[in-house]
Amino acid sequence: MNAIEISNLNRVYRAQIGVFNRSIKEVVAVDDISFDVQAGELFGLLGPNGAGKTTTVKMLTTLLIPSQGSARVAGFDVVKQANEVRRRIGFIFGGERGLYWRLSGDDNLRYFASLYGVDPAVSKKRIPYLMELVGLQGRGNERVGGYSRGMKQRLHVARTLLHDPDILFLDEPTIGLDPVGAREFRNVILNLQSQKKTILLTTHYMFEADALSDRIAIINKGRVIALDTPSGLKGHVSDLSVVELETFGTPESVLEKLRSLPFVDALSVEDREQKQMLLVQTKRGAEAVPDVMAALDGQRIGRVIVREPTLEDAYVRLVGGQA
Amino acid sequence: MNTINKNLYLFWQGTMLSYRALFAWLRPVTYMASKILMPLAQMFFFVFLGSYASNGKNVDFYVIGNAIQITSVSGIFGVTMSVGGDRDAGTLPYLFGTPSNRFIIFFGRAFMHIIDGAIGVVIALTWGVLLMGLDLSHTNLSALGLTILVTTFSTCGLGLLMGCLSLLTANVMFVNNFVYFSLLIFSGANVEVTALPAWMQFVSNILPLTRGIAASRALAAGASFSDISPLLVSEMGIGLIYGLLGYFLFSWFETQAKQKGTLETV
Ligand SMILES: Nc1ncnc2c1ncn2[C@@H]1O[C@H](COP(=O)(O)OP(=O)(O)OP(=O)(O)O)[C@@H](O)[C@H]1O
Ligand SMILES: [Mg+2]
Repeated sequence: MNAIEISNLNRVYRAQIGVFNRSIKEVVAVDDISFDVQAGELFGLLGPNGAGKTTTVKMLTTLLIPSQGSARVAGFDVVKQANEVRRRIGFIFGGERGLYWRLSGDDNLRYFASLYGVDPAVSKKRIPYLMELVGLQGRGNERVGGYSRGMKQRLHVARTLLHDPDILFLDEPTIGLDPVGAREFRNVILNLQSQKKTILLTTHYMFEADALSDRIAIINKGRVIALDTPSGLKGHVSDLSVVELETFGTPESVLEKLRSLPFVDALSVEDREQKQMLLVQTKRGAEAVPDVMAALDGQRIGRVIVREPTLEDAYVRLVGGQA
Repeated sequence: MNTINKNLYLFWQGTMLSYRALFAWLRPVTYMASKILMPLAQMFFFVFLGSYASNGKNVDFYVIGNAIQITSVSGIFGVTMSVGGDRDAGTLPYLFGTPSNRFIIFFGRAFMHIIDGAIGVVIALTWGVLLMGLDLSHTNLSALGLTILVTTFSTCGLGLLMGCLSLLTANVMFVNNFVYFSLLIFSGANVEVTALPAWMQFVSNILPLTRGIAASRALAAGASFSDISPLLVSEMGIGLIYGLLGYFLFSWFETQAKQKGTLETV
């Protein structure tokens, strides 16, 4: 059975804009999305800011009514059988809010356990077990307000496992975590995966999606633009190489010139403190380097690397090609 | 566990949550101090002002009126904070994402404040006896105790409605203060209701507290339980109506939020 079945899901937001000249603006956040997630699968949902990932997750977790289309989670309709769905899912919207900061970690879990109707005798054993699972053992009687951001996010994981759900929705669960914290977090996710939980994960960290996901859907402007395994997605760019150049504040006009070169398939820029990384995707491999350098004439250039494409490059090409 | 037991447990946990949040917010010592001294301050102010204006004839009138009115500190401010707290904490999506009984969640938020409010009234009455010459020797104390509980309950009913407003708008503290100070007058705590203009009397009659204060004054003057029981029944009914209105608003809020996508943006 499929754990999640989405058919022609659509969501329009109506936002009021302007204080004096009031008018209604419609935003199509999710535009006719359809895909299935198999039981036990870890499914990655990627896409740029505002692509509609959170909106999709909210509809699947019964927190938002779809404008059109339908979705079934654990075999139940997310609108008509919302409570059946709720009993079987857990969800996290990234970040540290959504907990009672004035209460202790244990009190938070106790309350949410009762909201899920977990037998107190069961939750009494389960709470310490989960606190240990997420690495918060011994901190349960401290107030959540005094937890670090990472601790709060881990408490959210414990919260969402209280009723032992089969299906988990994790919307940017590692946002704002330090590299070590994010790595520990990924280990928790791997642990859940080994317990045969179905997981739908959204993230902006491509290596994270690559390392964890069985399959990935990339959405842009509310539509699914690619759906494949990580290696399948990388296949989209297997004909490409990536030239990475370290530069120092290249002006926009020069970047435009570079972008317009016939052999440049895509160009992305990452700012790193004083430095800047230019990632040039090209079919010409190392041969493209002299021409790229020529286009950057007059700019200071540091390290230059030619490498195989990653999932991120596939993502940039797929999303970039749409813009 | 069957559904009833689960819901009782959920009610209890929700109650404990509000209770612990209350104590975690103020340290126990600060809490006790405010609980003991706040009534004294309000009573001194109105009792001396009132008895000065009426040449000291009517001290008990002000002592009892203000002692009972103290309950709205818990009933209005406390309950509003417990219901609206979920909005500030960002817990609404997590709350509404559970299969829990909304009725239980909602009323669980108020329960602790009924007890808290009743204790506040008892403390205030004690100040009245100790410092302001209140004489309760002819009073049916168990009937007075019941009156205090019922009045606190009905005030919490209004608080639940106010709490829902706080889910809908950010400026509820202004409204809360307005309601609190209005109650000082409309409830008859400091003015005879019969001395008010007709439209104000109408408002008095649809607010909680008014009948509870009247019943308490009657009991202090030696009335029997059967004399005041009609007042208690109406006071209770008013509290239920406000509480239920609050609950319907709460349900409406959840439905609206899911339709419009405003669960976190309100
Ligand atoms: N409550 C809302 N009211 C109005 N518009 C909204 C609301 N929530 C989201 N939107 C709009 O819907 C679109 C999709 O937003 P959504 O939050 O689903 O994107 P996302 O893929 O999760 O983005 P991000 O990566 O930034 O989290 C955006 O244009 C956003 O402005
Ligand atoms: Mg999002």
